[in-house]
Amino acid sequence: MNTNGNIYTVVYSTIIVVLVAAILAFASSALKPMQDANIKAETISQMLDAAGIQAKDVPTTNEQILDKYAETVEEAFVVNIEGQKVSELSIARANIELIDNLKAQNAKLKDEALLPVYKFKNGKTVVPIYGAGLWGPVWGYIAFNDDLKTIAGAYFDHASETPGLGAKIKDDPAFRALFQGKAADFTQEPAFAIVKGAAKDNEVDAITGATMTSKGLSAAIAAWLKAYAPYFINNAPKAEEPVSEPEAETTEE
Amino acid sequence: MDAKIKETLLNPIFKGNPITVLVLGICSSLAVTVELKGALVMSLSVIIVTGLANFILSLLRNTIPMRVRIIVQLVVVAMLVILVDEILKAFAYPVEKQLSVYIGLIITNCIVMGRIEAFALGNKPFASLLDGLANGAGYGLILVIVAFFRELLGSGTLLGARIIPESFYEAGYMNNGLVILPPMALILIGCIIWVQRSLQKDLQEK
Repeated sequence: MNTNGNIYTVVYSTIIVVLVAAILAFASSALKPMQDANIKAETISQMLDAAGIQAKDVPTTNEQILDKYAETVEEAFVVNIEGQKVSELSIARANIELIDNLKAQNAKLKDEALLPVYKFKNGKTVVPIYGAGLWGPVWGYIAFNDDLKTIAGAYFDHASETPGLGAKIKDDPAFRALFQGKAADFTQEPAFAIVKGAAKDNEVDAITGATMTSKGLSAAIAAWLKAYAPYFINNAPKAEEPVSEPEAETTEE
Repeated sequence: MDAKIKETLLNPIFKGNPITVLVLGICSSLAVTVELKGALVMSLSVIIVTGLANFILSLLRNTIPMRVRIIVQLVVVAMLVILVDEILKAFAYPVEKQLSVYIGLIITNCIVMGRIEAFALGNKPFASLLDGLANGAGYGLILVIVAFFRELLGSGTLLGARIIPESFYEAGYMNNGLVILPPMALILIGCIIWVQRSLQKDLQEK
């Protein structure tokens, strides 16, 4: 047979491409459940790290991560941008629900985004952030203490930031540690910022050599905290009754 | 026949190593050798992809229209790479997250295309499969050697486990930051090529 004729070439190419497409489509749908389970466990482990329950780099299986979450979470629900609770997320071990399509929520952050709030039994409230870094998306989880102001911890991740520079938002524990003890000011805009030469309580230092990643992460945090601001302001404990402030010792008069 | 199979299998490991002798696949060997674990997974992926790509294209070799053969090769290689990526995503998610960019780059790894053009299109499927596996292994061997030194000297660990004891650090020993960066990988590969050329006189130019 003449394998160099035009008709043969066209038919051959078509068959190969359709065959390959079919194989890939089959593999993709067959492996999807396992991949989704991995992504879910990854998301939860980032929250647990931010809330200070279990460090992310401790090797664990997906099952252990889900167990840990079911054990330590108190409630999870969705609020709208007015700060009202719109629905509950199941926290039962058999059916853990998350809002993990942050990209989709980010697109409608100004009006009808579903904003998840995860409250843990250790008093921490964890919320996600999502935005654009230099090369691709950056996202993460920020944990607040029960005064809903002070940051207890943060975990950030990225798709393709530069290793050694922008990737430090994830790889450098020292950068993440900067967030601990800082406090977001929800009455301001931005409520929290990553800047050069941080001076205020709601600022941390940017990463040297990763200006664009730092700016992107800062914008992501600002945009998401702005969306969460009504919820945080409405639900923050009143200033007259300080919750658990070790410095506030006014008993001796 | 037996000797020929042996030759196909052993030649790419040392005498005709794709990295040190053919100087193919250098970019990815600089990128994925910071840690031993990443290098091992990358090696395994490349072995599977080169082996299967050689096998499949050798089966098809008499039917492929000459004018579109590169495109047909690319389609098959791309399919295998995406399959490897999807399988890693399902069964080794943390590794996939770390390597995803480089796994995609296997498609452009010169070794894969090079072996298809040079071997698979002119040989029987079984011999091509062996040739692909052996070339992948030759690539992997260099990767693992480089990654061994880079992880040991750069981070003081192997496969994530601490090798250099804390007491060394207290005595003033420090990890070498340069080893973490790609230039040092190139220097290490240079050293390996140097050693190989001094052992194997026929590689030296007159």
